[in-house]
Amino acid sequence: MAAPSAAGLGRRLRAWLPRIMPVRWSRYNPSYLEPEVKKESHQKPLEELTEEERQQMELKAVRPIKAAPPSLSSSVFSDPMISKFTNMMMKSGNKVLARSLMSQTLEAIKRKQLEKYHKAPENEKERIECNPYVIFHQALKNCQPIIGLSNITRGGKAYQVPVPLTDNRKRFLAMKWLITECRENKHRRTLMPEKLSQELLLAFNNEGPVIKRKHVLHKMAEANRAYAHFRWW
Amino acid sequence: MAAPAYPAWVTRWVSGQWRNKKRPPTLRPPRTLALADKVANRREQSTEATCITEMSVMMACWKQNDFNDKPCAEEIRTFYDCVAKAEKERKNQNEDTLSSRGNLPSTKVNKLLKRFPQITHYV
Repeated sequence: MAAPSAAGLGRRLRAWLPRIMPVRWSRYNPSYLEPEVKKESHQKPLEELTEEERQQMELKAVRPIKAAPPSLSSSVFSDPMISKFTNMMMKSGNKVLARSLMSQTLEAIKRKQLEKYHKAPENEKERIECNPYVIFHQALKNCQPIIGLSNITRGGKAYQVPVPLTDNRKRFLAMKWLITECRENKHRRTLMPEKLSQELLLAFNNEGPVIKRKHVLHKMAEANRAYAHFRWW
Repeated sequence: MAAPAYPAWVTRWVSGQWRNKKRPPTLRPPRTLALADKVANRREQSTEATCITEMSVMMACWKQNDFNDKPCAEEIRTFYDCVAKAEKERKNQNEDTLSSRGNLPSTKVNKLLKRFPQITHYV
């Protein structure tokens, strides 16, 4: 009598356990469609739409649409990479502070570049990049590692095996390295925007500690290239 | 079934009783002499790592150019292409087709055999 109830209790507990851990899933019915935020797609005249776009429009007339999340914006100033970076900088949900830090960083970059621009001689003026968004994107691209290391256990011993990375993982690593570098290796009195703008400008020119960290990772991967056959994908 | 049920005359004939040469039965099949609906579990050899040549070429280029990315852009591009191709192939490979080495793993074989079982009885 105790045994069947114990077994049933175990089964019911195991079925209930998924609700304890937070899992990222959606409560929307699968029939709900994603919202279309870009203004250009709504302003297209009817004749210019292709066949599939027409079908999509007809589908939208009958299906319900999910609510747009607050991070999705139709503004020309919104940039998904900058939003992602701001979210990673955010602490304890303080999005206001993170966003203000981000905008101060971009302003600091612009100020520094403008100063350089006005001091430079005429022939070098075209080569100075003043757009902070361009500098941000290029710096992130320069910081992305090309190959990563993953722990694979063979015969009881764990080896660091060089393995290709997905795009998301590269972007995440670049942003993470930048943020940790700016948080840890700075003087007590320097503020985050100042330090971040400095690091971004260094990364834009392929210098600086973040690029060095990327090179260290590449060197380790190159040293361990003999273990590349341990991969099975 | 430990002792398979053959008709009595089979066992007598096999034992040599009719020829007055009684011997102990030569055949003592421990299991039914019929095909089972599953194969033994075989440890499938893992597939090889992809894109190793491109990776080694890229690393040689890095060693020559002191790990700068600018001079090695071509090699890096080929490496990325190879990785994207391997990823696409992995996604597209159908479950029921043969693996790259031309054999089917035992789990898939068992699944197929279960769908078409051996008929051992008369209806």
